[in-house]
This record gives sequence, structure tokens and C-alpha cells, in this order.
Amino acid sequence: MSSLLPDSGSPKPDADSDRLRTVARYSGIGAQMAATIGLSTWAGYWLDQHFQSKTPWFTLGLMLLGLFAALYNVIRAVSKGE
Amino acid sequence: MKRLLFALFCLLSLTARANEPIATTADATESENFNPGEMILHHIGDSHEWHWFSIGEDHYTTYLPVIAYRAGSGLSVFSSRHLAEGEVHEGLKLEHEHLVSEDGSKVYDFSITKNVATLMLSAVLLLVVFTTVARGYSKRGTGSPRGIQSFFEPVIVFIRDEVAKKSIGPKYERYMPYLLTVFFFIWFNNLMGLMPGGANLTGNIAVTLTLALMTLLITLFSSNKNYWAHIFATPGVPKLLLPIMIPVELIGIVVKPFSLMVRLFANITAGHIVTLSFISLIFIFRNIGIAPVSLAFGLFINLLELLVAILQAYIFTLLTAMYIGGAVEDHHDADYQMGGGEDADPAHVPAH
Repeated sequence: MSSLLPDSGSPKPDADSDRLRTVARYSGIGAQMAATIGLSTWAGYWLDQHFQSKTPWFTLGLMLLGLFAALYNVIRAVSKGE
Repeated sequence: MKRLLFALFCLLSLTARANEPIATTADATESENFNPGEMILHHIGDSHEWHWFSIGEDHYTTYLPVIAYRAGSGLSVFSSRHLAEGEVHEGLKLEHEHLVSEDGSKVYDFSITKNVATLMLSAVLLLVVFTTVARGYSKRGTGSPRGIQSFFEPVIVFIRDEVAKKSIGPKYERYMPYLLTVFFFIWFNNLMGLMPGGANLTGNIAVTLTLALMTLLITLFSSNKNYWAHIFATPGVPKLLLPIMIPVELIGIVVKPFSLMVRLFANITAGHIVTLSFISLIFIFRNIGIAPVSLAFGLFINLLELLVAILQAYIFTLLTAMYIGGAVEDHHDADYQMGGGEDADPAHVPAH
């Protein structure tokens, strides 16, 4: 298929499309951070409900793990560069 | 950007002020029984019939087929006309748009609902449009495109050059069919959702879940050993830390498609809710003065949604391509140390 489409030649620096790409990329990283914390906290909450624990250790533990995972992934994604 | 923020501020403060009179004139809304929340939730949700519009008490509705399976009585297929106004048909009834049986037995609902009908319609539309485009290429080759082909060629080339090639690298060609399909599917359905009477298909969490699940599966099945080595033996991490790092990396695998799912769902649903809220203002205030303002803001949001429609399709495709790119990458040079780059010191990483 792509052999049929005209080739745009060597990739030239396209400022607008690169800016859009960067915006999409970093907004993705941010959403991923929120999703990591939210998802792991929810999982911990569910586990605490399931085991009917008196102290919410699962919520606390998984929330902290999620926080750590979110920060770790953000640092890794940002330092990776393009 | 500043102007956009100002506009958003205006919008937010307007809705805040709009809330006050509702509380004080509760009697007015009570007598009319207009419930904006209920109306909006009905609009963004799925339903067994396709309600187009109402004039007074006349409802213009297309009744869609109900297909239900129950273990006891088998398959029942009938028009949703029989279920209108809470009626019971073949032991089935609708409870808040949810098909339940009268005797409480489990119902498997395979109905062609509004969303399913829209899904089929958009599949046909996509097939018609893109077989036409493909026929153009088989007939004219790389010659100048004609008709609808010339509209889609720049978009396809953009997805290939700016999304696939830059994110996936030399192996991009295998993933082009999926990336193009997902881009045009989301874009077309976002636009169809903005049309009057259109269903909120891409604002349905089940649809975005399926799309995200496909991205996850494609990422996992195309992953190479570098990808897994990076998860189970992250380079540069001491062995003692691995019990912590492995769950962290595994969370990352699940969270990536999860954020794709939530982003598309939330953006499209929020757009519909905001547009409908502005239209609702007319019926809340029951004042002709509010109509031009409400319509102007509704139109503004609707036009903004045209941009959001293509932007969300682009973001979904780009992030999918990036996740696939991470899974098929041959080496992770820049990843071995934090802040690594072209000229970073290779430090403790053995040459490979």
C-alpha cells in the first residue's frame, strides 16, 4: 500500500507537526500518571473490601506503589528523549 | 492559548451562575419537570430505540430489533416497539434502558442497540469510502489522486510519515493497517456523534475498552525480547530492587491502554455533556434572552468538538504507535541511564 503512495522524501523538520506530537506525547504521560495512581488505589480499595481488613493496608500499600510507579514511569518517559 | 483559557473561564463561570437561579426558582422547574441531568444522561447513553426528535407529544423514533437469549426460553427476537413505555413483551421489559426478564432470570442482551446500529453504519461507511480510495490507487497508481482520494491521501500520508515512521521505526509497515483503521474509525465516529441524532459511540466505555484492548494485544504480540528483558531485568537496576521494579513495570503495561480508554471516553462524553448543558440552559431559564447566549456557546463548543474529534483520533493513534514502537525497538540505548542521550556517558552499562 505505502509503495503506491507518493513518498514525501527524507523527513524534513516540520515544526508544527513536531509540536503537536510533543503535546500529545506529554499529555499522554500526564494521563498515564493519573491512571497509574487511580488504578492501583482502586485495586487496593477493592482488596481491602474483599478481605474486610480493619486497617486499609492494601489501599495504603498499593497507593504508595502506584505513586512510585507513576513517578518512575514519568521520569523514564521524560528522560528517554525523542 | 490565553484566549482559550479566557473562554473556558467564561464558560465555567457562566455555568456557576446558572446554578443559582435553579435553586431559588425550584417551583418553576418543578412544574415543568425538565430535568437536564436526566436528559443529558439519556443522550449520551445507549438505548434500544433510536429517538430522533419530538414535537410536543409526537416522538419520531426508529425502533431497533431486540435480540435476547435466556437459558430457559431460548432466543427471542422482536422489535423494540413492543417494549416502549415500559411494556412487557415475551417476559422481557426495559428497566432504565436495561433489558431484564420478568421472572428475574438472566438475560443475555444481543440487541441491535443505537450504538450497535451506529457501529454497523460506520463500518459500512468506512468500507465504502476506503474501497473507493483503494480503487483510485489501483487504477491510477501514484498519479494525481481524484475525488475523495485526494482528500484522504494527505491524511493517510500524515499517519504514515508523522505517526508510524517516527514512532515505530523501520518496521512500521506491518502496523499501518491497524493504525489507519483505528484513526479513521475514531475520527468518523467522533464526527458522526456530533451530528444531530447521532449516537455517542466513541464516548461509550465498552467501545474504547475494545479499542484499547486491541492496542494492548498488538503491543504484546509484537513485543521482542528487549521489551521483556526491560521489564523483568531492567538494565541498571540492582537485583535487590527487582521485586519492586517488576510490579511497577507490569502496572505500566496495563496502565498505558487504560489511559487510552479513559481519555477517549472522557473527552467525547465531556464534549457531549457540555454542548447539551448549554442547550439545556434555554429550558432551565425559560427566557428568550438566554437563547442567543446559550446557542452561541453551544455552537462554540460544537466547533471545538470538531477539532477534538480529529485530535483525539490522532492522540489515540500516536500513542498506540508509540507503545508498539516501544515493544519492537531493537535496543534501549537512551534508556540505560536516567537522562541518557546521544552523548551521555555509558557509565556502568556493558557494551553490547
